[in-house]
Amino acid sequence: MAEVHVIGQIIGAKGFSESSLFCKWGIHTGGAWKLLSGIREGQTQVDTPQLGDMAYWAHPIDLHFATKGLQGWPRLHLQVWSQDSFGRCQLAGYGFCHVPSSPGTHSIECVTWRPLGGWREQLARAFVGGGPQLLHSDVVYSGADRYRLHTASAGTVYMELNLILRNFGRYGVEC
Amino acid sequence: MAAFNPTVFLLMVNGQVESALFPEFDDLYCKYCFVYGQDWAPTSGLEEGISQITSKSQDVQQTLIWNFPIDITFKSTNPYGWPQIVISVYGPDIFGNDVVRGYGAVHVPLIPGRHKRTIPMFVPESTSRLQKLTSWFMGRRPEYTDPKLVAHGEGRQVTRVRSQGFVTLLLNVVTKDMKKLGYDTNSLDMRTFSVADLSEGILK
Repeated sequence: MAEVHVIGQIIGAKGFSESSLFCKWGIHTGGAWKLLSGIREGQTQVDTPQLGDMAYWAHPIDLHFATKGLQGWPRLHLQVWSQDSFGRCQLAGYGFCHVPSSPGTHSIECVTWRPLGGWREQLARAFVGGGPQLLHSDVVYSGADRYRLHTASAGTVYMELNLILRNFGRYGVEC
Repeated sequence: MAAFNPTVFLLMVNGQVESALFPEFDDLYCKYCFVYGQDWAPTSGLEEGISQITSKSQDVQQTLIWNFPIDITFKSTNPYGWPQIVISVYGPDIFGNDVVRGYGAVHVPLIPGRHKRTIPMFVPESTSRLQKLTSWFMGRRPEYTDPKLVAHGEGRQVTRVRSQGFVTLLLNVVTKDMKKLGYDTNSLDMRTFSVADLSEGILK
């Protein structure tokens, strides 16, 4: 069986209108993949940056997959939330990116978006906070029902992921 | 010669904790330690260290230079649990007490070669304003009981932190027998950015 190691960090995020941010992340894979070691999802700390406008999480990711096929290559999906001084959380953006498919070090910038409601929801969000959230978060990494959504662009999440592949050459896979 | 069928691979890291950027603080020292998985063991070198206390330079950059050496070799059977270096920076507060100024962690680079890594440093934040005032008076700031927590992902979702500085590391990495065991770490796409590029305007 071929093996894939994903080792790296979710470094932080920039470009959001709010400043105290945290991120919930998860990895989704197809049926041929099996997670041997590591934690498949998590939530970062809440960071309030003092220097500049980038929130830093430095959240480590260390996953070990075994796979029988190339279909369902792992996808990392993210939800960025902001937390205010009262402890209330508000959605800042959703995003996803595929885990890179070649060995080595990759710097990844994952763009994010957030759902827009009608003008009522947008006004309420500006004054009171809150705002629409997805009911089923798998829309973030699948294209199936996206055409129903109207979204606004949000900031960018920066990650550095290293890939180690094992035995891919044995099966004739070039990457 | 032995090792036609190796069962372990080696990772040698050497380098230095070069410098730091903390605009609001001065007279800082740092500690480093390594966090690694169960399949890893250090074979030589020092796992931890404490640096000297340094003051800011007088120029516009205001960097704090440590130039503190790191030298360690690990052996392992599995890349899972790849070592991370955890840096903690401490300095005096206004009353002279030793308080923590930042924690940060990064994986040792996986690709052999020379790497420069600038990592962000953050401190836990007090829960309430009253606690913030009390801790400022008493000199007991919020800190982690074990700095190695910074290298783990679990249990961080309830922590609130403030990022307030950067530390630059220079690391040289050499691996042995990873290819023989079937691990492929090289790549053609070597475009990387450092935290320095992301925070332009602060570090320039």
